[in-house]
Amino acid sequence: MRERIKPLLLPIAALLVFEAWMRLAAVQSDSLAPPSAIALALADALADGSLLAATRDTLASAFAGLAIGGAIGLVLGVALGLSHVLSRLMEVTIEAIRPIPSVALLPIALIALGFGYRMEIAIVAFACVWPVLIVTRAAVGGIEPRLIEVARVLRLTQLDRIRKIVLPAALPRIVLAFRLAAGIALIVAVTVEIAINPLGLGAGIMTAQQALRPDLMLAYLVWIGVTGFALNAALTAAQQTLFGRAALTDDNA
Amino acid sequence: MRHRLTGAVVGSVLTAFALTSAALAQKIQIGCTATSDCASAMIAVDEGIFKKHGLDAEMVLIGINSNIPAAILSNSIQIGGPTSTVFLQAADGGLDLVAVSGASIMNKTSNDAIAAFVRNGITINSPQDFKGRKVGAPGIGAFLHVLFVKWLVEKGVDPKSVNFVEVTFPTMADTIKSGGVDAVLTAEPFVMRMSNANLGTVGARYAAELARTEPIIFYAASREWAEKNPATVKKFRAAIAEAAPIVNNDRDKASAAIAKFTKQPLDLVKLTAPNQSEPMLKPEQLAWWIDVMSAQKMLQTKLDLKKLILD
Repeated sequence: MRERIKPLLLPIAALLVFEAWMRLAAVQSDSLAPPSAIALALADALADGSLLAATRDTLASAFAGLAIGGAIGLVLGVALGLSHVLSRLMEVTIEAIRPIPSVALLPIALIALGFGYRMEIAIVAFACVWPVLIVTRAAVGGIEPRLIEVARVLRLTQLDRIRKIVLPAALPRIVLAFRLAAGIALIVAVTVEIAINPLGLGAGIMTAQQALRPDLMLAYLVWIGVTGFALNAALTAAQQTLFGRAALTDDNA
Repeated sequence: MRHRLTGAVVGSVLTAFALTSAALAQKIQIGCTATSDCASAMIAVDEGIFKKHGLDAEMVLIGINSNIPAAILSNSIQIGGPTSTVFLQAADGGLDLVAVSGASIMNKTSNDAIAAFVRNGITINSPQDFKGRKVGAPGIGAFLHVLFVKWLVEKGVDPKSVNFVEVTFPTMADTIKSGGVDAVLTAEPFVMRMSNANLGTVGARYAAELARTEPIIFYAASREWAEKNPATVKKFRAAIAEAAPIVNNDRDKASAAIAKFTKQPLDLVKLTAPNQSEPMLKPEQLAWWIDVMSAQKMLQTKLDLKKLILD
């Protein structure tokens, strides 16, 4: 028990010192608030449902974007991993588009799609295509050649080859890619909301800041951290229960 | 795998939902920033004045004013409250926007509320003292920045000798305190809050010295939407005309509506008078802005005054 408490001592001490400093120095700030005020604001926002509604909006956009972007990345990744010709042909195009920061598309996305889920999903999807594509391409390209030979000997059709040999062999890394992309999806979704989109957790931060409520603003920030942590824990758990040992790769074993 | 499926389902349901709600859009959405300038629309929502005129209207809080023209063109909002400078720059850039009704104008109260607030350790005795200083504006080319540059020019100070940076309103107090900038261009209630916290002094009441009466913010729409919906525009104008006197005469109702929309604490909102609401908008009021902005090289084309305001 004592061993479990030890790692918590430092953060708790830091919070107490911060609280004491804010109170004793009577700091008046529009950006900082004592931890106790943040905790109260967090409880209030949870109680009135506004925080949960914002979390739903952000997660819905992040997951929808992840699904669309991940699917595109997966299909392209498998195609490019299987065909060297295609991979060489697409290399310049992909490497030219990939470095564009997804957030840089915001002005265009706003005029084309307007505020709301559609714009956010489109930007999240753009950001999620690349990690899934790159990792899938590498995973498929790195499949043991003898497995491909087996497929050829069995005279499997192209579709069966992908379904029965390629995907199962590359699955652990693909799942890892999706977990990576899920983290990116949440970051991009919140960023889009902070920059433009008037919904979700990011917009909550901005509204609280403009309403001169640093306590609420920081409560949103803490909540985003909690959400990110929970998301990662849930995905790791899902990965292990759905795929068991097959999901373990060298990278995350 | 299951996660992806759920995600896909949620996504497509949401997209379908967004599409159908856009198709049914009888409702008009009015986008404004968290200031008192659109108080007439806030009152019209809260007091049921839009409803009385047969309009189903709701207000959308927009973080940055310069996003409003793009939001209007994408039909996310049908009517928005851009500042005069944002509107004219958007029109100058080729966005086909048209003003439909007045929102707020400068008057003595609002001009007195504007200040260049200077941090401790710096003394400003004359406009010349701003030379070489780092001055934070809520946006480069924003209302307060353009006014300040106009004031500098009138006082014979070259604006290029002042180093302007962007500092948003909520971060002004902390930026002044840390010495990140020498002065900020701000307005009430921020001036009072920073004065009370002994963060510095008022260096110049530049808006009061300019003493202008032109519009700060007005309601604008895309020309296409406004021409397709003349009846809606007419109802909107009538409702705003009815709500404006309430903003100007009933401080309690106005404060309540502003606090509700901006989510700012009511006590804080009550401290400052809302900007004067003025539903009428005349071409000559925009002429001054065009002159000022052209002189500051913010406009590239020659804007046709008659086309900027809907008849």
